[in-house]
Amino acid sequence: MNVQQETPFKLIANCIPVKGAKRSSICDLHRGSIQLIPNDLYELIKNREGSSIIEIKKKYDHKYDTIIDEYFEFLIDHEFIFFTATPELFPKMSMNWYQPNTITNAIIDVGKQSDYNIYHALENLNELRCKHVEFRFFKKISLEEIKTIVEFLVDIKSSIISIDFTIPFDNDFEIETIQNFMSTNGRVSSFRYYGGHENKFISPIDNRRGYIIITDTIISNEKCCGIIDSSLFSVNISTFTESQKFNSCLNRKISIDANGHIKNCPSMMKSYGNITAINLNEVVEQKEFKKYWNISKDKINVCKDCEFRHVCTDCRAYIENPANIYSKPLKCGYDPYTNTWEDWSKNPLKSKAIEYYGLQE
Amino acid sequence: MILVIGDTNDITTNIAMEWIRHYTKNVKRINFSDYTPLDSLKITNQNCTTKIASIDTSEVEKIWHRRGSIRFLPITLRNANSSLYTYLKKEEDSLLKSLEDILGDTKEYIGSYHKEVENYKIDYLLKAKDCGIRIPDTLITTSKKELQSFFNTYDQIITKDIRYGIKIKAQDSGIYSGGTFVVSEDMITSMKKHFAPTLVQEKIEKKYEIRVFFFKTTLYPMAILSQNDSKTSVDYRNYNREKPNRNVPVLFPKHIEQQILNFIKRSGLSTGSIDLIVDKADDYIFLEVNPQGQLDWVSKHCNYYIEKNIAEYLVFK
Ligand code: SF4
Repeated sequence: MNVQQETPFKLIANCIPVKGAKRSSICDLHRGSIQLIPNDLYELIKNREGSSIIEIKKKYDHKYDTIIDEYFEFLIDHEFIFFTATPELFPKMSMNWYQPNTITNAIIDVGKQSDYNIYHALENLNELRCKHVEFRFFKKISLEEIKTIVEFLVDIKSSIISIDFTIPFDNDFEIETIQNFMSTNGRVSSFRYYGGHENKFISPIDNRRGYIIITDTIISNEKCCGIIDSSLFSVNISTFTESQKFNSCLNRKISIDANGHIKNCPSMMKSYGNITAINLNEVVEQKEFKKYWNISKDKINVCKDCEFRHVCTDCRAYIENPANIYSKPLKCGYDPYTNTWEDWSKNPLKSKAIEYYGLQE
Repeated sequence: MILVIGDTNDITTNIAMEWIRHYTKNVKRINFSDYTPLDSLKITNQNCTTKIASIDTSEVEKIWHRRGSIRFLPITLRNANSSLYTYLKKEEDSLLKSLEDILGDTKEYIGSYHKEVENYKIDYLLKAKDCGIRIPDTLITTSKKELQSFFNTYDQIITKDIRYGIKIKAQDSGIYSGGTFVVSEDMITSMKKHFAPTLVQEKIEKKYEIRVFFFKTTLYPMAILSQNDSKTSVDYRNYNREKPNRNVPVLFPKHIEQQILNFIKRSGLSTGSIDLIVDKADDYIFLEVNPQGQLDWVSKHCNYYIEKNIAEYLVFK
């Protein structure tokens, strides 16, 4: 696209600027990427969208023509804007987020000590019309056992459309076997092997969806969760709009920890009963169970000033100040006031919380 | 009761069903790829009753015919290569047509299999023109001479199918195309004096395309900004994977919106999707309509929640 000096510019409706304390971002919710911009450019877009470049330059008395040209070059390069003589015909995208079901996603943890019935849990999830399940095995598990679980979901015509498995790496592991398994079982979307000899991402075959991740990290319990990292940002319309009013990790989530305790997230302390004694839908009905769902990033200290707040998956299980449910995720090393990332676990200010949660190495 | 005719893997049917079930239990779903038993379509001198898959249709208030059709042919009889199937399918189709009419008489029937089958581009072009919407100049011809002179009249011309996307099975390969392409002088030169009926249209230089999904009288327009890219400048369905076209919500000027609503009414369509282009002079040009057109990515890219709105219409209106 060419620069048009005299035609009004319009932002692509699903490329949305988010202002941070010191810089801003443009979240490209269509192509799933994010670009960082100076706050000046943020202001320019916010205040001048619908004007032409010439008008903008004039507005600033032609003092910043070069910078303005550079800004527009950048916006055009990324196809964040287009020029149109009828800007009034291009409305903003609605920020509404709706979901028919009370529960959309679940985590099921299984450890050596687990003595609850996973099939019973899966039936419960089906009644709630849950869509996604993440299974995390903190003990050895065979492909045969996994098959049985998946076949069970097929048998009950489960509402679950995607399952992710996190399981310990096994030396018998063969890429092909797992890929074949995923291509014949459409519900299975990924396998993550921990405790491997390397870090590796294996893409799905033939444009399908099942992928494999191998990591050398050891995941021996739920305490490994809650890490905030730019590689985990989820840049799409659904997360962006949901995060406007809801918590981007805990909203509509239910979990069963390795001891069978029903929780919002397995890493949280509070249990709402044991799956051996109470059904999931009874828990969901408790108001208390949903108390974190409305904690959006705009209510969380520090995050509310962060340019990543609508693409970042929150964590309420490990927070900087355990006494304040609005404090920043403990495992985030980003500082929006300086725009620097550091290793969160080495931050002396966090040592108290790290100790509190028993996260020391 | 609400009856939904869709398909097992149709994402739109799936999402809408989640919403409908969220609001009511009183819904039944029929899938195109399944076999649906026709218990009875009974016509006596007193009345006409139908029972499909144990559903007494007198209990149905609204039907949303999203995709495909009901299939009354048992799966074992659906061997696409047999001439028996060709015959049985014809019979089934005529039954489906009558059934659609019968049900449409007594309840609200939104969507249509027969409108989809009989989606004749020329008819709709004329209807659009009658409603005052601009259309591309179009020629259907079997004559090289006519084609050549049409070609000479315009800067560029394109061709597309009259009704059916190209699907020709050959011995070990096949020719398939559902899109639009530009006609070159060379192509015309290489053609015989007479050929099978062929549709050509003037090529309009576009600013952007609009795909508008409509359900009853609600329009959901999406602009497809594709002009910068030679791969998609003729027809956005020739996708560009690396840098997909930008898709954004858009509005129609009031008088165009009214013309489109008039067109919908005149065509007797209750739902579907229309392709238009906006040319350099900001004129709106009608290209075609698809009675069972996709809405999934219009809904997704523009955050329109069309499936939710459809569900609410079916349940509450
Ligand atoms: S400060 Fe908050 S929003 Fe920003 S990256 Fe860290 S956790 Fe995410």
